[in-house]
Amino acid sequence: MNILQSIEYNPFSIKGGYSDHILNIDLDTKSILPQKLPPDFKDKFIGGRGYALKLIWDGTTGQTRYDSPENILVMAGGPLCGDPRFPGSGKFIVGTISPLSDTFIDSNIGGHFAPLLKLCGFDALAVSGISDKDVILVIDGDKGTISIAEAPLFGDPDDSGGISYGERLLENYCDSNVDENTAAVTAGIGSCNTRFGIVNSLFYDPRRQRIRTKQAGRGGTGTVMRYKGLRAVIVHSTLSRVKANNPDNMAGVKRSGANLKKLVSQLDSRQLNLGSWGTTGLVEYMNNFHILPVNNFQYGRHEKAEETFAGVFLNRYFNKELPDGCYPGCNLACAKGAEDITLTSGPMEGRKVGIDGPEYETIAAVTCMGIFDPQFVMEYNWYCDEYGLDTISMGVTTSFLMECFQRGYLTLEQTGYDLTWGNMESAGRLLHETAKGIGFGMICGQGVKRAKQWVAEKYAAKTGSDCDEVMKALSAFAMEVKGLEFSMYVTKESLAQQGGYGFALKGPQHDEAWLIFIDQVHREIPTFKMKAEALKWFPLIRTWFNAVGLCKLPWIDVRHPDAAQTDNPAQNLPTLAWYVEYLNSTTGSKKALQDVLNDSERLQLLQKLINLRQGKGTRGNDQIPLRAIGPAFLNEYESRAEYYDEWLREQVGEDNGIPADMEGRHALIMDLRQKAYHKLCDSVYEEKGYTSDAVPLPDTLKRFDLWDEKVESVIKLFSGPEKKQGVDL
Amino acid sequence: MTVSVNLLGSQREAAQASRIQIPLDRMMRVADVFAYVQEKYPGLSLDQTMVMITVNQSVSSLERILKADDEVSFIPHIGGG
Repeated sequence: MNILQSIEYNPFSIKGGYSDHILNIDLDTKSILPQKLPPDFKDKFIGGRGYALKLIWDGTTGQTRYDSPENILVMAGGPLCGDPRFPGSGKFIVGTISPLSDTFIDSNIGGHFAPLLKLCGFDALAVSGISDKDVILVIDGDKGTISIAEAPLFGDPDDSGGISYGERLLENYCDSNVDENTAAVTAGIGSCNTRFGIVNSLFYDPRRQRIRTKQAGRGGTGTVMRYKGLRAVIVHSTLSRVKANNPDNMAGVKRSGANLKKLVSQLDSRQLNLGSWGTTGLVEYMNNFHILPVNNFQYGRHEKAEETFAGVFLNRYFNKELPDGCYPGCNLACAKGAEDITLTSGPMEGRKVGIDGPEYETIAAVTCMGIFDPQFVMEYNWYCDEYGLDTISMGVTTSFLMECFQRGYLTLEQTGYDLTWGNMESAGRLLHETAKGIGFGMICGQGVKRAKQWVAEKYAAKTGSDCDEVMKALSAFAMEVKGLEFSMYVTKESLAQQGGYGFALKGPQHDEAWLIFIDQVHREIPTFKMKAEALKWFPLIRTWFNAVGLCKLPWIDVRHPDAAQTDNPAQNLPTLAWYVEYLNSTTGSKKALQDVLNDSERLQLLQKLINLRQGKGTRGNDQIPLRAIGPAFLNEYESRAEYYDEWLREQVGEDNGIPADMEGRHALIMDLRQKAYHKLCDSVYEEKGYTSDAVPLPDTLKRFDLWDEKVESVIKLFSGPEKKQGVDL
Repeated sequence: MTVSVNLLGSQREAAQASRIQIPLDRMMRVADVFAYVQEKYPGLSLDQTMVMITVNQSVSSLERILKADDEVSFIPHIGGG
């Protein structure tokens, strides 16, 4: 390996889940700088996404974009990551200014990387600058060395793949004896050619005896990584994981972890069965309730969806004998995978590969294109991971372009091939072109927001139409908010989830709020006030997991039986109590759940400030496409006409002038739905302590100890007479 | 006249059926259907605290009186990963 820069260091010890040090890397100068954090840093910013937010708030400006040298790529776990005695402790986030949204994104990812980074003595890795050549970073806690080296090349095609390159790198570093003490993050060739490149997290699975991968999928973090010239990061330590966090109260850690593991082992198989099916089981439920996206979110159900139900993947692909998981100690073990699958298409046709996945979102990204072939799903999953592409953004952008093609906004001459629903050959071809940055893939790789602009300009120029009018027409079905593509749930019939996507600070990713069932099916939150309260509470707790380095699935998808006796069963408070116990037992804090929520609210406000500074923080930025609100086009209304007519009767009453014609009823439904969304905005902003333009009130910021000169200067930009941007009632 | 119980996910696998048809008795409640399925299909391990009960895709109480062709489901709680 050609070492460009190297330092020796003594790995910092961990106490209560923290080393209180971060590792700063400047790729401009190739400098390596361990940094001790101020004592109160963790009190205010917790870890994980909190650390990323603070570092980026301090280190960047409103002009910073993903490709600016001062943009920082942060990888951070949190105080609770790493301990195998508690389920789901193998999580970290990758945070940066996103190429898609031009504001902060944090994407969560599983595996061993952050626990090993912590064992090497660091709570976070912060990479700034841009290298003049592709490099890798190696952090070896055993040797006490941190090195920046020229990225080695092993010979095409492995060099371009996120998985293949990472496998070669790990085997090379470990002299072919890869084990759980070494992990890596990589970004593949697709990250160089698109705005939605992912970061792969590679770790060794001794049961499967191969290297497996998880992904930081959303927002283009891999694109930032490759733009900086950072090809991979390797971490290595043989220190014990069990004692890694050096918890304040070992007995409390053991007790809380044991309680949660017992619940999971007793109940998961009787509930969502994640241990057997992974998240593939969700496809059937979403299809049942018209939530599975089909044909670019036009529909929520399809007769062929059964071909992508969990049993198909379990019987045809998954290895049933092996317990699975992305980190030791998690008995939910939902990280399913398949071995020795022969690729039947694409540049690697004929190759036998191990495939990690699919998750629900990947399957739904394929159904969104009108495709219901499980082999296509598996190969799409693998190629996206190998290329380093977000399966969600790739699928949603393809779906958008398919609809543009079929509505006549794109021509065969422009695309080169027939982009119609269900056309696997075309979808596959576009995937490979997008990864390589060639052909129509160059447009696809820009994501929905920018592809929409391109389509509008070309169509307007060709037809003599007004470009703004074309943009408005396309925006009805361009499924993005703030530049990030929607994740895979049809929100037409859930006003709360419309808000869950619209108000999400990073863009429409469901890790902030998933309220579809309690809203659309349970009808537990019927009023605007109740929806607003849910839209405040759930994002606070859900994003807390990203600050502490934990997976939320053991909490949110395994319901404690005692939750039914609480005021709000969906909050699953009995299980949350164990998480609070784990927190206090690890760090030595004496927090109650409300303290945890307050900590998270501080971080949400900091993210809101970044959004405002980046021009993405006001009411106008929270608006969502018409298709997300209801049946945007007549065909969508017609597909469920009886349901929509019943809905209309419930809203306006039988005798209150329901139009006799279908077009009239359709228009009235959409008008009512848009008005409801605007009313929801008002309720939510009030609940959160914002102005009607979605700007935090000074008192709200002061309450969370965030008010200073810099914050005041940002808020001042939005002060003055209250106005509603981009809203036309 | 009958009502049907739609089985999804692991229930379908355990029962080896996607739908159970039950003859409709007069004043039959959802609770009666629940008890019937519990007894006839013990492998489903149905527990009222573990599922959301829907009739015709809307959440329902156990006391609801059923009509002909009603479709009952017992859906696990889904919190969204």
